[in-house]
Amino acid sequence: MFVSDFRKEFYEVVQSQRVLLFVAWDVDALCACKILQALFQCDHVQYTLIPVSGWQELETAFLEHKEQFRYFILINCGANVDLLDILQPDEDAIFFVCDTHRPVNVVNVYNDTQIKLLIKQDDDLEVPAYDDIFRDEQEDEAHSGNESDNGSEPSEKRTRLEEEIVEQTMKRRQRREWEARRRDILFDYEQYEYHGTSSAMVMFDLAWMMSKDLNDMLWWAIVGLTDQWVQDKITQMKYVTDIGVLQRHASRHNHRNEDEENALSVDCTRISFEYDLRLALYQHWSLHDSLCNTCYTAARFKLWSVHGQKRLQEFLADMGLPLKQVKQKFQSMDISLKENLREMIEESANKFGMKDMRVQTFSIHFGFKHKFLASDVVFATMSLMESPEKDGSGTDNFIQALDSLSRSNLDKLYHGLELAKKQLRATQQTIASCLCTNLVISQGPFLYCSLMEGTPDVVLFSKPASLSLLSRHLLKSFVCSTKNRRCKLLPLVMAAPLSMEQGTVTMVGIPPETDGSDRKNFFGRAFEKAAEGTNSRTLHNHFDLSVIELKAEDRSKFLDALVSLLS
Amino acid sequence: MKTLYEQNQSDVNEAKSGGRGALISTIKLRHCCLLRNRRCAAAYLYDRLLRIRALRWECGSVLPNALRFHMSAEEMEWFNHYKKSLATYMRSLGGDEGLDITQDMKPPKSLYIEVRCLKDYGEFEVDDGTSVLLKKNSQHFLPRWKCEQLIRQGVLEHVLS
Repeated sequence: MFVSDFRKEFYEVVQSQRVLLFVAWDVDALCACKILQALFQCDHVQYTLIPVSGWQELETAFLEHKEQFRYFILINCGANVDLLDILQPDEDAIFFVCDTHRPVNVVNVYNDTQIKLLIKQDDDLEVPAYDDIFRDEQEDEAHSGNESDNGSEPSEKRTRLEEEIVEQTMKRRQRREWEARRRDILFDYEQYEYHGTSSAMVMFDLAWMMSKDLNDMLWWAIVGLTDQWVQDKITQMKYVTDIGVLQRHASRHNHRNEDEENALSVDCTRISFEYDLRLALYQHWSLHDSLCNTCYTAARFKLWSVHGQKRLQEFLADMGLPLKQVKQKFQSMDISLKENLREMIEESANKFGMKDMRVQTFSIHFGFKHKFLASDVVFATMSLMESPEKDGSGTDNFIQALDSLSRSNLDKLYHGLELAKKQLRATQQTIASCLCTNLVISQGPFLYCSLMEGTPDVVLFSKPASLSLLSRHLLKSFVCSTKNRRCKLLPLVMAAPLSMEQGTVTMVGIPPETDGSDRKNFFGRAFEKAAEGTNSRTLHNHFDLSVIELKAEDRSKFLDALVSLLS
Repeated sequence: MKTLYEQNQSDVNEAKSGGRGALISTIKLRHCCLLRNRRCAAAYLYDRLLRIRALRWECGSVLPNALRFHMSAEEMEWFNHYKKSLATYMRSLGGDEGLDITQDMKPPKSLYIEVRCLKDYGEFEVDDGTSVLLKKNSQHFLPRWKCEQLIRQGVLEHVLS
């Protein structure tokens, strides 16, 4: 059931108990977890934090810990499947689920006792009505019980029998119709996957309701929302609406900067709203590198071709920025050039067909020289979390990423920024090679691209978030590069090798790239059906159902099944 | 040392009985060596005792078997004596129950601390009888006094944020 008053029904319930936190592996979950940790530490709530990367890990961790805890909090996992079925908990276990995955499974919605959803109900959820899906089984049995009573007289018996037979067939037909309708409703409801409000924002809201919100928590909420935008999980309109909400909080916490007399010292933490350039990491890199490695500009300029490189030079010449300045570190650029940089770039970008060069976002300043945009932190944390680990279990990366979000661990954040630069460069190079060698082929209802084993940096793309980012950028670049009008509207399925020893590949499906797209992804269900149909050895382990692992040998029959399913 | 001592003894006897005064300097040299060796041995044993005393403060009153294997019987006895006198002292402080001064070696900042598990440890009991499973890389928020022992052993790590 949905929790209406987060404070009374969630926080005050767990305040005096020990809780177990299951946190999924994405930046939004990390931010929500940091906010919740801060609240718990303030109120001395004893908790245990377990990172989980998929359903199997969630189940094993739950089995190990279920005797010790009664209250479980799941962050960014668990809303889109039947939790009670998967976890098989005891009667008195209570789950609080704060998840952005939609659609929320109907069992989770209508279970009144054990599952509490920390999800705002004004998110367009469109949950089907209770009566359409669940039916009291006992009603039918009582009716069939009456039907077996016999009448006393034979003639009465016969008419009685006829009536009973007619009644029974009517009931059976009604039941079949009801079940068919139910299947249709559920199919429509569960067909598309999409994402709702960021969990970090939900947690920040809770903190605000309890008047325990801080600037730091606001920053984590901002990073969580920006993560959803960077990974294209929410629509542009929703992003702008949520930014508006956060902007009110930001001005409430940071208003002292405007007041000239009581302004804070320069090195205090402050968060400011910016209408800044869309270039990734540009303040920590050189402007030229950032222009080459941001998907938006690289796709529009078509930087994989020589013609595109020339256009980039034209663009820079149009603004009057000398190449020498543009290729050095941004912080060492001439101040006279940096002053009006944003407006200059926006104007020139308009001339070259890029209308959305600037985007609404936030930046944080603390200390004398540390300034970060929200997207910088998102890229850094994502790269830390998905960096290929040399040894040790995968949770080391999770811990690193979690630490990097604290302001006292700046060295980790800078390390993350370096990793992010590598990742972005590798992404662009892979895209360039894929487009130049025509690796993106149309299979009919979708486009397909597969990264070969020996591709450089392919090890960076075996994790789901990096692979999804690569596929989205590839699709955007492909749409800009192809002349085939039909291909521009197709979705993309991408495969990358995961593990040599086990011979598995990671496969990701992303929705088509259109201007007004609502980011709804049908590949989750499509993959499931295709796998069932062909008995392929697949592992639907990730919380995002559109990312699966597959044995390399089964790849071709799986794809054939997918083609026939979707055409 | 024994060899030196025996040689010295035989020389002394000779000197006393045979009157060979030239042996006196050899005897003196050997005697100085003996004294020095005895001082070194005494310093080594004393250093061991100091380390055993520090072990009580580090590991608590029960020593792990690996350490006990390396201690001689007399050292164990000394350790038990030290334990007893420390316990008597602690009981005499702070009213009826006594004060455990081996905890809180540094001034504490908060009641509960955030700790991260560095290796798989297993179940760990908390005050209200329930237990926490300590697995690698899981983070916990627990009362400080329960975690101090494990932090000293290196199983948990205090996370500062």
